Amino acid sequence: MTINQILIVVAAALFWGFVMRERGRLHFILIASIIVIFWLQSALPLRGFDFWLPVATLVITIFSWYITAALEARHSRKNWSTLALIITIVLLLNLTRFLPFDPALTASRPPQTEILLLILALSGLFLFLTKKLTRFHTALLAIAIISLILIFLAIKVPAFAYWVSYGIRLLTSQSLEQAKITDLRWLGFSYVAFRIIHTLRDRQMGRLPDVDLAEYMTYVIFFPAFTAGPIDRIERFMKDLRQPATALGNDELLVAGQRFILGLFKKFVIADALALIALNDVNALQVRTAGWTWILLYAYAFQIYFDFSGYTDIAIGTSRLLGIKLPENFSTPYLKPNLTQFWNNWHITLTQWFRAYFFNPTTRWLRSWKNPLPMPLMILVTQVATMVLIGFWHGVTWNFTLWGLWHGLGLFIHNRWNEFTRARATAWATTPIRQNVLAISGVLITFHFVALGWIFFALSSTSTSLHVFLKLFSIK
Amino acid sequence: MTTEIISTLAKFIAEKILKQPNKEIKPDESLISSGLIDSFSLMDLALFVEDTYGVRIEDTELNAQTFDNLSQLTELIASRQK
Repeated sequence: MTINQILIVVAAALFWGFVMRERGRLHFILIASIIVIFWLQSALPLRGFDFWLPVATLVITIFSWYITAALEARHSRKNWSTLALIITIVLLLNLTRFLPFDPALTASRPPQTEILLLILALSGLFLFLTKKLTRFHTALLAIAIISLILIFLAIKVPAFAYWVSYGIRLLTSQSLEQAKITDLRWLGFSYVAFRIIHTLRDRQMGRLPDVDLAEYMTYVIFFPAFTAGPIDRIERFMKDLRQPATALGNDELLVAGQRFILGLFKKFVIADALALIALNDVNALQVRTAGWTWILLYAYAFQIYFDFSGYTDIAIGTSRLLGIKLPENFSTPYLKPNLTQFWNNWHITLTQWFRAYFFNPTTRWLRSWKNPLPMPLMILVTQVATMVLIGFWHGVTWNFTLWGLWHGLGLFIHNRWNEFTRARATAWATTPIRQNVLAISGVLITFHFVALGWIFFALSSTSTSLHVFLKLFSIK
Repeated sequence: MTTEIISTLAKFIAEKILKQPNKEIKPDESLISSGLIDSFSLMDLALFVEDTYGVRIEDTELNAQTFDNLSQLTELIASRQK
């Protein structure tokens, strides 16, 4: 997001807080969120896709609500009017194509209205079919989760993304030679998919609270958190959304404002300044000495932290203006004494998602075996698998895989080390000085381990990453 | 009853998870957010609670928001035993 976009978004939140006061919060957030997901989607080389991808986000969300909602609640009048509202906004956005000046709310002129009507009609038909398949409800939930993962892979695995783009170009007669893996940059999809999978899984386990379409939609595409998280849990989000909204008081404004300005400072002053010298594919090959390579790496480590946690502060500050207290995503991760603690405090909502829906169920399942694996092997398997999947969430490439492996193995090693030394360390660290020595050396080792891992994350090729590793230790 | 559960859980954590049988764990001592119990041992604790008290703690509940110390965990167990 650019600073202008951020300022417009926060102005929208302030408008609600000051002008509309406590009225119509749910619908205000819903309408703003729908407009924002079209407005923030950047232009794409595939014709019309900067409009079709947000439409797809909405259609997927509506379907997911439909199959997770209780049967008797699905067809209430309230939900029909929400549906009508969503369709009206999308139609109005599409009709801006006829305006005499350049469209302001979409990256390019919206595509043909007749195609939109066809898509809406087909989606309606599909929804009707889903209704007929109610008795296969359990299967539908599973199919929905698998479909989301498949879409995820289709846009995140470079080879698949290329073929998807190729296929779309073939269908829409656009130049095939220009097909690129970046043609499908679907804004916010990773976050949307993870929020939806959480609701589908919780529905399978019978733990999903009853929410209507407007509430569900607002949760999934909530505009302050749409592009960069945090990934809230629906029951927590609903608690805030259903609280009677109060007009924006001075205290609340101060807290939200401080958080927002802190975020702007972190992102646009610190992170953007560090970006000038942070490790990237170009300077990785230009740098000559080990000392400078370390500086580039340190700059990257702090840039990614200030960038991401700055965005989170902006999201948390903005949403507080609307009375929603999003969960924290970072808690001084670089000051933690070990890798396990680092991962409890870095991108917290993502790691909690993976714990709840992958790590814990897998561990439980491995434990239930008649002849369970030896404990260390079990820990190795679950830690590495979880971290590699977190790597894939960022992109299915060799470097993200290596980054996941780096952290998975790191967590395993820390776990084993801790097991052997915990008693001894407690026995040794009897004075405050000794405790400090342990804590400070832990922080330094953990930070450097994480920083070295960023080499895979920051660079796109494995050979460049290896080159940087060797350079850091003056081997090359 | 409550104190009994707390001492059983404290004993389990000290002996089986931390391998420091003499370590005293206070009812309000933070377990998860402090890093005392890692995510793998947390599952041990959940399975122990399920076996001992017949109370299921879901995979999505194994985090510091649901319970972070022995008092909170005991409260959770008691509320589900009813």
